[in-house]
Amino acid sequence: MADATDMLPLTDTVAPADQAELAGVVRKAFDSVTPLYPIGGGTAMGFGVVPKRPGLGVSLAGLTRVVDYPYQDMTITVEVGITMAELAAVLARNGQRLPIDVSQASQATLGGLVATNFSGPLRYGHGTVRDYVIGISAVDGRGVTFKGGGRVVKNVAGYDFCKLLTGSLGTLAIISQVTLKVKPLPVATAWLTCELPDFRRAESLLAAMIDSKTTPVAIELVTGAHWQAAERTPMLIVGQGALGVLLVGFEGTQSEVDWQVEQLRREWQAQGASSLGCHADDAARHLGSQLTQFGSSSGPLVLKINVRPSAVTSIMDLLLEIDPNVSIAAHAGNGVVIAGFSEFSVADASKTLIQRLQPAAVAAGGNVVVWSCQAGELTRQAVWGAGRGDAEIMRAVKRQFDPKGLLNPDRFVYGTL
Amino acid sequence: MLAPTFPNLVDQFRRLLGVNGVLSAHGELAVYECDGFTIEKNSPDVVVFPRSAADVQAIVKLANEHGVPFLPRGAGTSLAGGCLPVGGGVMIVLTRMKQILEVNLRDRYAVVQPGVVNVWLTQALKGTGYHYAPDPSSQGACTIGGNAATNSGGPHTLKYGVTVNHVLGLEAVMADGSLVEFGGPAEDNPGLDLTGVMVGGEGTLAIVTKVWVRLTRDPQGVRTMLGIFESCDDATAAISEIISAGIIPAALEMMDQGILEAVEQAFHFGFPLDAQAILLIEVDGLEAGLDAQRDQIVAICRRLGAREVRQAKDAKERLLLWKSRKQAFGAVGRLSPSYCTQDGVVPRTKLPHILRRITEIGAKHGIRTVNVFHAGDGNIHPILLFDERNQDQVRRVLLASGEILDECIACGGSVTGEHGIGVEKIGFMHKLFTSDDLDVMVRLRQAFNPLGNLSPGKMLPMAGACGLEQTQPGRRAAL
Repeated sequence: MADATDMLPLTDTVAPADQAELAGVVRKAFDSVTPLYPIGGGTAMGFGVVPKRPGLGVSLAGLTRVVDYPYQDMTITVEVGITMAELAAVLARNGQRLPIDVSQASQATLGGLVATNFSGPLRYGHGTVRDYVIGISAVDGRGVTFKGGGRVVKNVAGYDFCKLLTGSLGTLAIISQVTLKVKPLPVATAWLTCELPDFRRAESLLAAMIDSKTTPVAIELVTGAHWQAAERTPMLIVGQGALGVLLVGFEGTQSEVDWQVEQLRREWQAQGASSLGCHADDAARHLGSQLTQFGSSSGPLVLKINVRPSAVTSIMDLLLEIDPNVSIAAHAGNGVVIAGFSEFSVADASKTLIQRLQPAAVAAGGNVVVWSCQAGELTRQAVWGAGRGDAEIMRAVKRQFDPKGLLNPDRFVYGTL
Repeated sequence: MLAPTFPNLVDQFRRLLGVNGVLSAHGELAVYECDGFTIEKNSPDVVVFPRSAADVQAIVKLANEHGVPFLPRGAGTSLAGGCLPVGGGVMIVLTRMKQILEVNLRDRYAVVQPGVVNVWLTQALKGTGYHYAPDPSSQGACTIGGNAATNSGGPHTLKYGVTVNHVLGLEAVMADGSLVEFGGPAEDNPGLDLTGVMVGGEGTLAIVTKVWVRLTRDPQGVRTMLGIFESCDDATAAISEIISAGIIPAALEMMDQGILEAVEQAFHFGFPLDAQAILLIEVDGLEAGLDAQRDQIVAICRRLGAREVRQAKDAKERLLLWKSRKQAFGAVGRLSPSYCTQDGVVPRTKLPHILRRITEIGAKHGIRTVNVFHAGDGNIHPILLFDERNQDQVRRVLLASGEILDECIACGGSVTGEHGIGVEKIGFMHKLFTSDDLDVMVRLRQAFNPLGNLSPGKMLPMAGACGLEQTQPGRRAAL
């Protein structure tokens, strides 16, 4: 993994020791008109348009305190520099967790998770991080510290800054502290898998999931060379003659999981499916982790395509038509397709993205975003997808929160402010 | 003060919407002078009934041309004055935009117009195996547009989440009359989550004309239990224990003895009138796990001193239990000519404390209080009983309400879990938030509503209208 500083035009990096010091750094930058680049664990530095304006890196590594953990209330208030592995360990001591998959959890931070709105397979059953942030503190582009929400699980006082800042890529404010609601750890977990000869078969099984008696927490569909490398994913191998694998994940008590695995097995067999596999507990967790890591280990150009769930297989067909060597992991139940390309030229990538993939995704209700591109610089339209009617309001919000345009300049969707 | 051109504006509205689409006579406007929060009243100058987003756009553009403020309204069930036309102006009533435009089970969403009543969607989905999860107690009347504006809750939000967790996208008319789509049927559209911030914006950011909502799988099974307790302390301790044991009930509601008395008179369920508190506990999900969860809950309740834990014996008994709960407020008229309810939130473990304090505060001011609330969320709804003809009682109810909400803040909670700030709680905003927090909220509003002509005088104390002087605390109860 490249160091964070390789990807950003940093003149220097500071690491405030507490939230007050962070506010001081931003105020000073506001006065001197210095761009700021917030840095968490540095695992998503390639996300967004490559920034050009030299500026100061602001590492949140000094903000790692657990401020309050009333575990019986099932909430936790923490500073954002805590790594996701450390947060998971703290919560696990009380049998709890934040049910959001995170890639590179020993490096990735909570602040980075909230800023990028990262998610994995569990989003089908548990939603995304926006559903768990109930309180947030941050420093806006003027250096003003503000908060939204609170520390209780239900609260409609004031505008919901938790939602606004989640996924804003640090461009409205630098998030310093978050209150989360958490959930109990499940007792048991398992995946049922099915090898597929083609995507038409995949779509018929996916459509039938709507009437399944089971309640999965994950519905994934994978294809491509990445999943054929046996040494990388010993449990998940797309076999000879198969195009892909459908994976359905379950969590709950042992009896709930056992019942669901058997029930779905019966449902799939009744639909004529064969080549079924089952992976439980440690093996299941390993599989979940492989699916989560895919985006950060799948080649020099990684795309995230979001569409209506019923359009997932046709988008996958299109991706294979564009590049027969593409590898894909789709959160098929949610309509989120992650595609990794092994070889491409920047010119081809832009053309392919803008002329072929974006129109198909837009027609299916969604868009295409470049998750990481290690081989060259792409334009904003290539990176953030086809513009939509809400772009002007986004720019208006950005101007209010960061009037001098200093927070992560040029990386996000806005374009000319 | 209305612009001198106002009569022309009304004529223009009539040409746009037809005679039946415009109300402007004094008597006709009276219905629209308040919502479920009846303390403060103010008449709009004209009420209009658009039938399409294009109508809403034209209305907003005309109002802007004449320099008249405007605001949206659904069914007017809001309990915090979100639909109060502070300063008059144009009230845009969305109840004629009531089509369910699309139900897509394969992609688990529906598209509705804002005037669709909450329960209509669930009725339309009957038999499909799916439902729309947010279920405010007023779901038979309130609209999904209004739910989106206030980020409504309800009993089953404990497990399933509030409105914002179920809204995928919005189409809205902005304060300048432009029509914009946010989010949509596909998750994770790039850019800021403006859908997330507009839900709960209380109609101050935009006027919603279409809502994409997530559909939720019906649970395979359900177990509904009634825990009967000798003390409120035991009941509230059981709530914390159940949740921290790792069980997430679909709903966990509490009623104390005072409200039980009224509810029993109204619905004849057979509640034990000598019990100090009852918990209504529902778990749902896979049959394979339900009996184990039920047994665990029964054991916790017994350990914490429950006299008895009953299970609803059939669907009919379950429905009666829920009817008793959801219509409890309607029964309050049996106890008192007027009442005032609050909507505070505390961390669940603070429930025993806050209930004791509510009783103490009521006693200190000589005001009787009863409780029926979303216990699992820590969302309290103390009901203060009084007679609004007695000015001294009115004064004491206001004092007691304020003290209860201050206590919620002191517990680390909030002054509203689901009803909203509206005009009712503007005075509490500076207690929950710093002036910097409020300044940033004003800046957010300016991005959407730069002239402040969309629903002025709401939610933020610096909004122009300087907080309403409260002189009367409550609504007249149904007698």
